[in-house]
Amino acid sequence: MTKWFNLWKKYRIGLFIFVTVVTAIYIFPIIWTFITSLRPTQDIYRYPPTIIPGAVTPQNYIYVLTQMKGFLRYFLNSVVVTFITAVIVIISSAMGGYAFGMRKFRGQNMLFAAVMAVLMIPYLMYLIPIFIMEDKIGLRNTWWGLVLPYAALNLPWGLLIMRGAFSTIPLDIRDAAVIDGCNEFQFWYRVMLPITRPALAATSVITFVFAWQEYMFVSTLITKNEWQTLPVGIVWIRDELQTLAYGRVGATIMLSIIPVIILFLVFRNFFIKGLSEGMLKG
Amino acid sequence: MRQSGYSRQSKFSLFVFLLPTLFFVLVFIAFPVVYSAYISLCEYDYARDRIPHFIGFQGYLDTILHDSFFHKALIIQLKFAVFYFVLTFGFSLGMAILINELLYGAGFFQVLFYIPMIIPLSLVGIVFEWILFPDLGVLNHILHTLGVSNWNIEWFGGPQTALYAIVVARSWKMIGFTLIIFLAGLQSLPKSLREAAKVDRANFLQEIWYIILPNLKPYLLIGGTWILINSIKTFELPAVVTEGGPGMSTLTLYYYTWKVAFEQYDMGKASQIAYIIALIIFILNWGLTRVFRPETAKRA
Repeated sequence: MTKWFNLWKKYRIGLFIFVTVVTAIYIFPIIWTFITSLRPTQDIYRYPPTIIPGAVTPQNYIYVLTQMKGFLRYFLNSVVVTFITAVIVIISSAMGGYAFGMRKFRGQNMLFAAVMAVLMIPYLMYLIPIFIMEDKIGLRNTWWGLVLPYAALNLPWGLLIMRGAFSTIPLDIRDAAVIDGCNEFQFWYRVMLPITRPALAATSVITFVFAWQEYMFVSTLITKNEWQTLPVGIVWIRDELQTLAYGRVGATIMLSIIPVIILFLVFRNFFIKGLSEGMLKG
Repeated sequence: MRQSGYSRQSKFSLFVFLLPTLFFVLVFIAFPVVYSAYISLCEYDYARDRIPHFIGFQGYLDTILHDSFFHKALIIQLKFAVFYFVLTFGFSLGMAILINELLYGAGFFQVLFYIPMIIPLSLVGIVFEWILFPDLGVLNHILHTLGVSNWNIEWFGGPQTALYAIVVARSWKMIGFTLIIFLAGLQSLPKSLREAAKVDRANFLQEIWYIILPNLKPYLLIGGTWILINSIKTFELPAVVTEGGPGMSTLTLYYYTWKVAFEQYDMGKASQIAYIIALIIFILNWGLTRVFRPETAKRA
């Protein structure tokens, strides 16, 4: 008996069980959405509800992927907007970060401080003037209407990360490149970008996570079905179906988060680094 | 000192490298900030006439003194922030300490707690709406089976419970962020501290209270301030699930401001409140960096 107790204590089995139970309760909403999405509709609305699924069927997924034109369009919009935003942010912050981290110019610190100061401003404050601006020049209901503000709001984080990465690089490397006859753009592209790859990855993670989840700008700037992205589009699907087709709504939710979860599991170190650096965002 | 290589020769390349930054900062950051500052000093009914009329600080005075919805939203926001803080801080600190004590599986549990960080808040809203559904929701079913309550607690539909349901849903998503901070803090504690506690035969609770928490202070402050700032940005859940209701029980400050701007098209008033929110966030941030600068710097 004491032997078992000692083993129990030595390997902290009680603690392990406790953490497992809490974690299981914690991720229950995801599991429950998944279970619901696999059930036939009459099963979902059986009263009283049952927790263990009786029948498992992919019919909701098949319906969403074949019948629901809206969902596929939202997915495409989300992918395009996220991808273009990430590309713009990566290129711009790699360029700007280089200028701030490896060059010296007048007003450098002031410009950088100004960019960083606006980081603290809540996004709602940008949204009002950006809405008026886009409404007047007709950028609403376009991909660019989302991409440009997203890129602008994520650029300061990219700059912060990229400047940090560039300022740790010894300048001797550049002198060597000068001697080798590289011009500055070749040097930046061929020598600097490969060295700063981890920082570029963190920047793209921040941008990706932001653009994939963003709700407020989309719900304000996009009013047409064909330009909607997933976070608002799925809410529209819910409104359209009423909550009375939760299996289908659940399937759209799972389809839109599973690719991200897979990316997250594969690149989790980059994600955690990126998320913790970007967490103070508006 | 960092003045070598290309720096003397090429102003042109410097300009090219800075060009995208300058474009975005000027057009999408500096201009909006200045323009919304101007709008906040104007009367601007975007639905009726499309030109702002300058009225100076009168608008700020009216909003702060006479807008009873604004007052109500402030009170709801405060209530939200308190409960959100207690839940998020308490839960993530507790889990961080426990996960840090694990001998195996810590990385696995961590990853599970981080997954909600990448799920859009609007979808979190739909998921919780379904779980907390009055008749068919699984939570009421579980509570009923356990004999705690009757079937039909209307979590999001009840004026007493809706705000707390939103607190729980938002907290569920955000806990990973503070967990990252607290775990980083715990892992930075020197092992010798813990061993000293063992020598003194402190039990686990004493160890937490006398050894771990005091040494974790800078991380607790960063995490706590982050939670407070984050609570102000509560928009998606009221917008998707409750639309501020029932009554006005979930009309958070952010959502109210959005409604003023994009449902009433009162851009002047919305900009005023947005500036007030920015000021609150600025003060919280300033407090953080002013008072705890050395610790913040160490973390980065």
